[in-house]
Amino acid sequence: MRDAQPSPVRGLSRREFLAYCGSLAVLIGLGESGLPQVAAAIEQALKRPMLVWSDFQECLGCTIALLQATAPTPAQLILQQISLAYNEAAMAPAGFEAEKSFSDAFAEGTFWVIEGSVSEKIPGAISIGGKNAGDIVKEYYSKAQGVIAIGSCASFGNVQARTPNPTGAMGVRAWLRGPGGIPDATVINLPRCPGHGDDLVATLTYILVNGALPELDKAGRPLFLYGQTIHDNCERRAHFEAGEFVEVFGDEGSQKHWCLYKVGCKGPVTYAPCPINRWNGRTSWCVHVGPCTGCSEDNFWNDLTPFAEPVPNIPVPAIGGASAQTIGLGLTAVTAVGLGAHLVGQIATGRLGAGAPAEPKAPSGKVSETPKGGDS
Amino acid sequence: MTKVVIDPITRIEGHLRITCEVENGKVTNAWNTCTLFRGFEIFMEGVDPRDTWHYSQRICGVCPNPHAINSATAAERAMGVDKVVDNARLVRNMLDAAQLGYDSILWFYILNAFDYVNVPDVVNATTTDPALMLVRDRVKSVIDTGQTSIFSNQYWDHPGYKLPPEVNLVLTSHYLQAIEMQQQANQACAVIGGKFPMIMNMAAGGVTQLPSEPDIVYYMDKMQQVKDFTETVMWPDLLAVAGAFPELATFGQGCGNYLTWGLLDAKSQLPADRVFPGGAIFGRQLKAEAADPAEARLYTKYSYYSDSMGAGKKPLEVGQKAIEFNGFPDIEGEAFPQGKYDWTRAARYPSPSGKDVPMEVGPLSEVLVAYLSGRAEVKAYVDQTLAAVGAAGKPEVLMSNLGRVAARVIKARVNCDHALGWAEELLANIKAGDTTCFTKPDLQAEGEGISGYDAPRGALSHYVRTKGGKVVTYATVPASNWNLAPRDDDGVRGPVEEALVGTPVADPTKPLEILRTVHTFDP
Repeated sequence: MRDAQPSPVRGLSRREFLAYCGSLAVLIGLGESGLPQVAAAIEQALKRPMLVWSDFQECLGCTIALLQATAPTPAQLILQQISLAYNEAAMAPAGFEAEKSFSDAFAEGTFWVIEGSVSEKIPGAISIGGKNAGDIVKEYYSKAQGVIAIGSCASFGNVQARTPNPTGAMGVRAWLRGPGGIPDATVINLPRCPGHGDDLVATLTYILVNGALPELDKAGRPLFLYGQTIHDNCERRAHFEAGEFVEVFGDEGSQKHWCLYKVGCKGPVTYAPCPINRWNGRTSWCVHVGPCTGCSEDNFWNDLTPFAEPVPNIPVPAIGGASAQTIGLGLTAVTAVGLGAHLVGQIATGRLGAGAPAEPKAPSGKVSETPKGGDS
Repeated sequence: MTKVVIDPITRIEGHLRITCEVENGKVTNAWNTCTLFRGFEIFMEGVDPRDTWHYSQRICGVCPNPHAINSATAAERAMGVDKVVDNARLVRNMLDAAQLGYDSILWFYILNAFDYVNVPDVVNATTTDPALMLVRDRVKSVIDTGQTSIFSNQYWDHPGYKLPPEVNLVLTSHYLQAIEMQQQANQACAVIGGKFPMIMNMAAGGVTQLPSEPDIVYYMDKMQQVKDFTETVMWPDLLAVAGAFPELATFGQGCGNYLTWGLLDAKSQLPADRVFPGGAIFGRQLKAEAADPAEARLYTKYSYYSDSMGAGKKPLEVGQKAIEFNGFPDIEGEAFPQGKYDWTRAARYPSPSGKDVPMEVGPLSEVLVAYLSGRAEVKAYVDQTLAAVGAAGKPEVLMSNLGRVAARVIKARVNCDHALGWAEELLANIKAGDTTCFTKPDLQAEGEGISGYDAPRGALSHYVRTKGGKVVTYATVPASNWNLAPRDDDGVRGPVEEALVGTPVADPTKPLEILRTVHTFDP
């Protein structure tokens, strides 16, 4: 049912396609001997981009999130826009046949999306077909047309990297750049938990349209997606400015959709497009129902917990904006996470009103840098 | 004797290898090896008990909601809140109902269907229906490009693919509809919970807020569509597949013990009153006993931990710290797994005789316990299924691959029958002025909390000890610890391993039947 060499043009048989290429070759001055060249060029141009999607230390949440993409829908994406050569949740084959799909795709040329972290301390904490994830990454990195880490696990290690990080979980980029690796390895990080299908589609589209990678921040995140904080675009922002806060879940403020800062929202220190592209076909998003946990930031399970406590040292406008107070010292780990310089900028432009800003802390090696604000 | 290894098992959540010994066309022995380890019980020590539900959702991104519910319930019990206000119960049920709506559709079509439906064969179908012609042309255009995406490299020539092309076409069109429909269910979840996967409105003590009236109405509209699809598309497809593959009732019988903690709370919030009540069945007897998540036991002789870490202890006494990993069994070569071969711990439950035995968990256990507990709504669907396969009055026929497939759809229908009702109750409460949704727990309490509440793939329980605002010890016994348990200290196979024994294999190089048996567990 499938020709060894099918025609890439719908409606044309292979023979008709080759005849067409032959006349094209003559037309553009290559002569009849230029036929294979022209045919190869057309076939390449008409191919859908190939995509291999690997799963390492993960929960499948990013795959499920991709299944929620609405523009395009997963069916349009898989059947019409790309060729999803390998995805363990969706693909028909298993075992050796699945591994063949993997190696076939790399032989033909493919983008590589990775969901899940690599385990450095216990390499066998994640293995597929008898190969450890870390070895797979190092073997195939240079064979891919581009590597995209979807979600916070592949980007930074995520929850399993929380202290004491039993398996030595880490992001793909950190693993590649580690000892004996590739110091300048490029991985586009699309961290959120789960990774957002729209972020992936937007990034792939960017690459295909521009023929180049998008500009990245120091954490490897595309600036066009991760350039602003949750707080910048929050639907509850007016209540923050007015000093109207939810104090306890279910209180009057919660019914009136007031600001969630005091019950632990990490929106002011979190760079992600959540308020813009929201979730599940733009139905809703986290802060519509509860506090942000900062899931697009490196190491947020250590630096931004307890989630139930406010981020310290955020100048909060009092009612009427006449004076400011600093609240929330409950976090076990004081965090800088890109807050300082960005907040200074906001206060300089009057967005936060009066009040002394927090002293910016120098970002540690584990903390993702701000994409703007001058520290990069 | 042939060794058959499948790694990776695809169309599942997680990372799984199956090793089978095949002789004379049948599986004679089997081993399941989970090839993923993250260590949740280790890094959840010391976290704020109010946060545990964020962590535990990351155990499973396919079914995070029951993890969130169990975490919040265990934590609030440890911190002095034994029962949440009724609005919180309703919101939790609504979240779980939406997730179950999506998950059943996901499993039946996206994870399971390719074991029965030959997609490339669709191009051979004859049809005059414009919608079906469109699907056929779409599949044909994919095949014609030579870039066959997720359909590449499957052994579509296996004799197990025996549906006529026209049926393959209809089921493929339903597969495409299913992708859209699972989105509707998740949009219902998201409007209440912020997003799916990884909901954001849970709280130890209830939920963060009540949804607005427009949000509840939106939820009802989406769930009505899911209910319609479940009734008018998935249910007839189940009966068609059950009729076309009668052999499904003849293998995959498994260990014959069934366990559920129950799910979907009634007003009393007691497990015995749930829509699917808690209970256990032993030795294929048609009789349901009480079941208590406090009595779960763990063994680790064949897992990548020290033998003494498990040894029949209760979950909070076991942990994950005594790691003894020294490589996976060889895929190549003649040797079968020896000694430790799995990251999963073996969960066992005491039988009436006092001996710890393997227990199958999942919709089949839930449906059987509900049926034997006299739940009329479940009985009605079970009876329809039995009639469709010519086994009226014989529920024991369901103790097979057939039963697992059917029970997932029965569970989905019962769930959808209730979802809109909970939304209506919540609307009525709000209109009557009851806007409570949260009880503040005593963060500093020194306590222990246990919660057993089934996930889509079966019994799930969480255990926590708290002191001074921190988690002292955290434990989970997810469905995989039951179904994908390795052998226990006595060498007794786990439920999936046991169900594989006896599975016919027409061609050991194309082990489709093994995939079918494994997939019936929705691993």
